[in-house]
Amino acid sequence: MKKNNELINKASKPTNSINQGKVQRREILKAAVAGAALFAGGAPAIHAQQKTIRFLNAEPSRDSVKALRVAAAEYERVSKVKVIIDTVVPDDAYSKLQASIAAGTPYDIGTLAFAGHVFILAEAGKLVPLNNLVSKHKWGPRILFPIKGQNYWYPYDYNFCWMYYRKDLYQQKGLKVPTTWDQMAENAKVLTGDGKFGVAQPLGNNAAAQWMSLGYMWADGVKMLDDNFSLVLDNPTNKPKVMAYFEFMKKMSPSMPQGMTQALFGTVLGQYSGGQVAHAPYAGRLMEVIEDKAPDLVSKTGFFMYPDSAGKGQAVNHGYDGWVVLNTPMKDESLKFMEWFTENQYINFLHSAPLHFQPARLDVYDDARWRAHPLIEKHADLVEFMKSLLTRKDVIIRSVDTEGPRIDSRPGKMFETFAITEGLQNVIYNGMPASEAVDVMSKKYRTVL
Amino acid sequence: MKVKAGPALFTLVSLVLLGIWSFFPIYWMIISSLRPEKELFDVPTLIPKTIDWQFTSYKNLLELTDYPLQFMNSIIVALAVVVITLIISIIIAYVVTRYRVPGKTMIVGSMLYAYMFPPLMLAIPLLSIFATLGLADSLIAVVLAHCTLTIPLGVWMLWGFFKVMPFDLEEAAMVDGCSRAGAFFRVVLPLSLPGIITVSIFSFLLSWTDYVFAFVLVSSDLNKTLPVGLASLIGSFDARWGELMAGATLIAIPLFFMFVFLGRYFIKGLAAGAIKG
Amino acid sequence: MQGFRTSSDKVLKWAFIASVSVVLLLILLPVLHAIQLSFYHSESFVSNKSWVGLGNYVRILNEIIFWKALSVGLIFGCLTIILQVCLGIAFALFLDRNFPGLPIIRGLVILPYLLPTVVVALAFQWMLDGTLGLLTIWSEQLGLGRPSWFENPYLAMTVVIVASVWTWTPFVTVSFLAALQTIPKSLYESAKVDGAGMWSRFWHVTIPMLLPMLMVIILLRSIWMFNKFDIIWLLTKGGPSSATEHLPILAYRRAFLQYDVGGGAAVATLSFLLLSLLILVYFYYYPLEEKEGSH
Repeated sequence: MKKNNELINKASKPTNSINQGKVQRREILKAAVAGAALFAGGAPAIHAQQKTIRFLNAEPSRDSVKALRVAAAEYERVSKVKVIIDTVVPDDAYSKLQASIAAGTPYDIGTLAFAGHVFILAEAGKLVPLNNLVSKHKWGPRILFPIKGQNYWYPYDYNFCWMYYRKDLYQQKGLKVPTTWDQMAENAKVLTGDGKFGVAQPLGNNAAAQWMSLGYMWADGVKMLDDNFSLVLDNPTNKPKVMAYFEFMKKMSPSMPQGMTQALFGTVLGQYSGGQVAHAPYAGRLMEVIEDKAPDLVSKTGFFMYPDSAGKGQAVNHGYDGWVVLNTPMKDESLKFMEWFTENQYINFLHSAPLHFQPARLDVYDDARWRAHPLIEKHADLVEFMKSLLTRKDVIIRSVDTEGPRIDSRPGKMFETFAITEGLQNVIYNGMPASEAVDVMSKKYRTVL
Repeated sequence: MKVKAGPALFTLVSLVLLGIWSFFPIYWMIISSLRPEKELFDVPTLIPKTIDWQFTSYKNLLELTDYPLQFMNSIIVALAVVVITLIISIIIAYVVTRYRVPGKTMIVGSMLYAYMFPPLMLAIPLLSIFATLGLADSLIAVVLAHCTLTIPLGVWMLWGFFKVMPFDLEEAAMVDGCSRAGAFFRVVLPLSLPGIITVSIFSFLLSWTDYVFAFVLVSSDLNKTLPVGLASLIGSFDARWGELMAGATLIAIPLFFMFVFLGRYFIKGLAAGAIKG
Repeated sequence: MQGFRTSSDKVLKWAFIASVSVVLLLILLPVLHAIQLSFYHSESFVSNKSWVGLGNYVRILNEIIFWKALSVGLIFGCLTIILQVCLGIAFALFLDRNFPGLPIIRGLVILPYLLPTVVVALAFQWMLDGTLGLLTIWSEQLGLGRPSWFENPYLAMTVVIVASVWTWTPFVTVSFLAALQTIPKSLYESAKVDGAGMWSRFWHVTIPMLLPMLMVIILLRSIWMFNKFDIIWLLTKGGPSSATEHLPILAYRRAFLQYDVGGGAAVATLSFLLLSLLILVYFYYYPLEEKEGSH
C-alpha cells in the first residue's frame, strides 16, 4: 500500500513547464501502470510481506493460552511477523502435529510431552536442531534429550509427581508422614471411612495412571531397561520388587474410591479439592487448583515424596513439556521467534501455571521476575522442595518413557502398551497372582522392544 | 379404535417409560449443570434441592470456550453440507434411476466404502488432498469431508424414492411442453419432498455430530466446531463436571426444540417411502 | 431407462459424471491411501517407510489380540443391532397412534440420536461415576454395593452396549414408524376379519410389508455399529484390558499411539474386507436391480 501511495504522490506533484508537463504525464502513466501492476500482482505480494508462523500449543488452560497470545501480539509488534497460536489438549498434540506434517501443512513450532515423540520426529528429519538456544542456559537433570549430540527440544517445565496429604487429618488421627509402603497403606486405611477415602490412585490404561501411580515402584530402585534396551523388569533383582509393589497396591486398594480405572488427571484434582480423598498424587497444579476452588484446604495440605518399601529411598515420577521447531520453510523465522520468546516471554508463560510449570532452566529460579509471583512467594516451601529435587542425590526421578540410557522410541512404545497398568488391574481386580502378572507384563513389553 | 381401559393404560405406561428411558440421562445432565458446584459432591436427589440461578457453570463454560463461535461454525458447516448433499444426491440418484448407466451397482456400492474405514485413517489423507487444493484448515474442507459421509446415504434414500415414482408422470409433463428439467422441478421434486427433507435432516445430523473430521481438518480456534470444542474442554484442567454438563446441555437443547417442531415432516418424509429399500 | 439423447440429457450426464467423480475421489483416494499404508512398516505418519508387503498382515493375524478384537466387534455389533432393531420396532409400534403430546414424546424419543457422541459419553460417564454417579449411588442404596462399572469386563461391555443402543435405536424407531404409515389400514382390517390377533397381524402383515426396509436398516446399522469408534473410545478406551477393544480401536491404537502405522492400517484393511464381504452377501440376497420389479 505504501508503494502505491508513493507512486501516486510522485505522479501528482505539480510542475511548471510543458516539458515537466510531459514528464508529469509520463509519470502519471508510469504510476498508473505500476499501480495497476502492483495492485494486480501486489495484493498477494503484500500478504506475502506479512510472514506467518503457526504455533501448536498443548497447554489449554485459559491463562496459558492468554500468555501465548499476548506474546504473539507483542512479537508481531516488534518484528512484523504474525504468530498464530492453535491450542489442543496435550493428548492430541502429537497426532495433530503428525497430521499437519503428513498433509503438507506442518506447524512451524509444536509442543510435545513425550521424549519418544521428539525422537520419532527428529529421526524422520522433521525437526530443526536448537543447540544454540539450548546452550545459552544451564538446565536441570534428565530434561534435555539430546539425539546424537543435537538438541531438538526446548523444555519449559518439569512436572514431577509427588504425594499431597491432609495435614489436619493426620493430626486428628495422630499419623506421621509415611516412609515405607506399609505405613502409607496404613495411613490410607485409617483415613478411609464415612464415605471418604484414603487415597486416589488412577489405575486405568492411560497416562494419568502411569504418572501418578508408579512412584512407589521407582522409589524401590526398580529399573525396566538396561543400557542395551533389554527388559530387566523380570530379572531376579527387579521381579520381587515389582511383585511386592503390585501386592502393596492391592493392599491399599480398599482405601481408594471406586472407578479408579476411569480416573484421569482432573478426577484426582476434583476428588482432593472436594474433600473426598485424604491423599492425592500430583504436581504443582493441585496447589493452584485448591487455591482457586478450595482455599480452606491450602493450609491443611502438605506433601511428601513416594516412599519405598524399606524406608531408605524416595522417588518422584518424571514429567515434562517442551517445544520443538519443525523443518519448514519458515524455520529461520521460527528460530528467531523462539530466541525472542525464550528470552523475553518465558517467565510470563511459566507464570500461567506458576507452581505447575516447574522451571527446567536453572537461571529462572534465581530470576527476581519469576520469584515475584504471589503464589510462588506464598508457597516458598513447596518451591524450595521442587527445586531441591533437581539437586538432591537421594531422590529417584523416573518414568516409563524415559527408561534406558538415552532417548529412544522403545520406552515410548512401552509406555503406550500400558502393560504395567494392566498388571495392576490384573492383580487388584482380577485376582491374578503377582508373579504371573509380572510375567504377562514383561511378555507384553518384550513385543515392542 | 375402541379405547379399552386395559390397553390404554398399558400404552400410557409404556409411553411414559419410553419417555423416561430416552430422556433421563439428558435430564440428569441438565439438572447437574444447574446445581451449585459444592452440591455435586453430595448425595444426589432426583429433583435438585437447590438450583443455581446464577448459572455459574454456564458462565464458566462461556468463559472457557468460544461456544457462540463454535455454534455458528457447526451451523454453517451443517447447512452447507445439507445443500451440497441434496444437489449431488439428487443428481446421482435421478440419473441412475432414469437413464442407462453402466456399473451403477458398483458406483453406488463403492460409495459405501466411506463408512467402512475408521474415519481417522481417512481423515489424514483427506487433509493431504485438501492441503494440495489449498483448503487445509478451512470450514470448506470440513464440509466436503462431511459430504463423503452424507452423500452415500442420500443417494441410497433418494434412489428408493425416484425408483418407485413411475416415469409416466414426467412423460406426461414433457408431452405438455415441459423440458426435462421442467418436468423434474414440477413433478418429481414436489412428490419427493418428504424424501428430500429426510435426507436433509440426516445430513444435518451427521455433520452436526461429527468429531473426527472437524478435529483433523481444522487447526485454528476460529474454525472449530461444537463437538471439537466440547471435547477439548474435557481434556483441559479448568473444567469440572458442572461446566461439562453445561456444555453438553447447550448442545442438546437446540436440537431437541428443532426436532419437536420439525419432527412431523421428518416422519412424513420417511413415511412416503424413503426407506422402501 | 433410456440413453442420454437430448441436450438437457447431456447436461445431466456431465453433471452426473462430475458429481460421481468428485465423490469417489474424496472417498476412494483416502481409502486407497490407507490400504497402501498397510504394506509398509512405519513408526509414524511422517517417518521413513519400509516396504514389508504382506508382513504386517501375517504379524497381525498371528496376534491373539486381533482375534479378540474381532470377536469383541462381532459381539458388540450383533448385540447392539439385535437390541436396536427389536427395541426400535417395539417403540415404533407404541408411537404409532395419535394422542396428545405426541410431538413431544417423539422429540424425546429421537433426542438421543441427535446428540454428538461426546455428549452421550459424558452423560453416561456422569451417571456411572465411581463416587458421584447416580446409578452408582442407587446401586449402593439397593444393597448391591458400588459396581465396578469400568473395571469389570462384562460390566464395561454392558455399559458400552447400553449406551450404543440408547443412542442409535431412535434411527430404527423413526424409520420403522415412518414405514408403518405406508401400510394400508385395509390390510389390517382384513386380517382382523380373518380372526388374526395382534401378534399374528404384526407377524403376517407388518413384517412382510416392511421387510425390504428392515433389511436396509439392518445393513446400514451393521456397517455403522461394527465401525463405531467414538462411543467405545470415549467411554472405556477399549478397556479394561482390551475387553471392549474392537477392530477400529485396535487400529487406532496401533497407528496413532503405538508407533505402528502399518499394523494399524492392516487391521483397518482387514476390518474393511470383512465388511465388504458382508455387503457382497447382502447384495447377493437383495440385489439393487431386483428391487425394481418388486414394486
